[in-house]
Amino acid sequence: MKVMTLWLDGLWDRNPGLIQLLGLCPLLAVSNTIDNAVGLGLATMFVLVLSNASISLIRHLVEDAIRLPVFVLVIAALTTCAELLVQAFDYPLYQSLGIFLPLIVTNCLILGRAEALARREPFVISTMDGLAQGLGFFMVLVSLGALREWVSSTLILASLPAGAFIALGLLVALHQMIQSKLKHRRAKVTENSKDRRVRTTGDIS
Amino acid sequence: MILRLTTFGLITSLFVGVVYVITQPFIVESKEQARLEQLYALAKPLLANGEIQASTTQTLSSGAPATLTNPIEVTAITNATAEVGTVIPFRSTEGYSGTIHMLMALDDRQRIVGVRVVDHKETPGLGDNIDTLKSDWILQFNGLSYGDLSPSDWAVDKDGGRFDSFTGATITPRAVVNALKETLNYLHANPQILETKQ
Repeated sequence: MKVMTLWLDGLWDRNPGLIQLLGLCPLLAVSNTIDNAVGLGLATMFVLVLSNASISLIRHLVEDAIRLPVFVLVIAALTTCAELLVQAFDYPLYQSLGIFLPLIVTNCLILGRAEALARREPFVISTMDGLAQGLGFFMVLVSLGALREWVSSTLILASLPAGAFIALGLLVALHQMIQSKLKHRRAKVTENSKDRRVRTTGDIS
Repeated sequence: MILRLTTFGLITSLFVGVVYVITQPFIVESKEQARLEQLYALAKPLLANGEIQASTTQTLSSGAPATLTNPIEVTAITNATAEVGTVIPFRSTEGYSGTIHMLMALDDRQRIVGVRVVDHKETPGLGDNIDTLKSDWILQFNGLSYGDLSPSDWAVDKDGGRFDSFTGATITPRAVVNALKETLNYLHANPQILETKQ
């Protein structure tokens, strides 16, 4: 059940790119073509999964005072590895991603997941969360890349930074629209059922 | 606490070190591959009547500009009888961030066959238009030789020259044009650099 929620949250309900709005810098900057988006999406997912996994493994060894430096250390090491691997096995991609590959180290999504989840949860859950959130981020990055690449042949604005903001805005709006439709339908279902007790369907936090 | 943090530092460094050692040979190989691809793409017009030879190293005289490494690696393109062109690396340290590494192909009369940026760290979206992946800017040098333009024309338009500078990012094209000018000027005066002895 918990695993199910993790996946739903990462991919849709609390999608890092559309709801949490984490990791905007690469999301906006590297989504100009599908190739770049796929490359950076995979690299980010690689770092996120491994950082969640390793931070969960060391969670009992890290006291509060050195928590942040250790997390940043782990993430920086993994990002360096990702950079080395991309450089070794896909040099053209390395060249076209440029500065945004090392910038994964400051992607707030990664430290955010370490802080919010991986430092408390066991290995399997944390790794799963890394996968779910990473895939959610990947999907948004690639849809943005596809949208921008497709539109930019007719509208040059789409390939510019301003176009990135507008395109992301449209995606967020679309997500909200679907989300509210879903909520509406869910509410209707509850209304129609004979059970008249008051129910709270929203998140309680 | 400090001990623990140090231990984590050591472990992660070790981890990065291992990955570095494993990937290093592949990185060297792919860099060389990328360089060769650029070289072939650049020298393509010359390859119609010549073949790429193994590169040789040449020592430069003391008056050489900072745009050339010393000793320099010169790649000759020759046919059965004579040298039809050369490819040489050059660079600029006047860019916005880091060194811009470039390659230039010249024909036997020192006319530019092509110039390419091999490696740079210029600002994405602004300065990186010097890269053929982003724009055709650098192709405008094709066919020119040093003597075709007066020295003051070998500059970006903001400095009164002939070459277009990008809005908001003059530093990068200026670095490229100036490096090109200095290199060509030096080669013009020292043509023996390009004559590789077989």
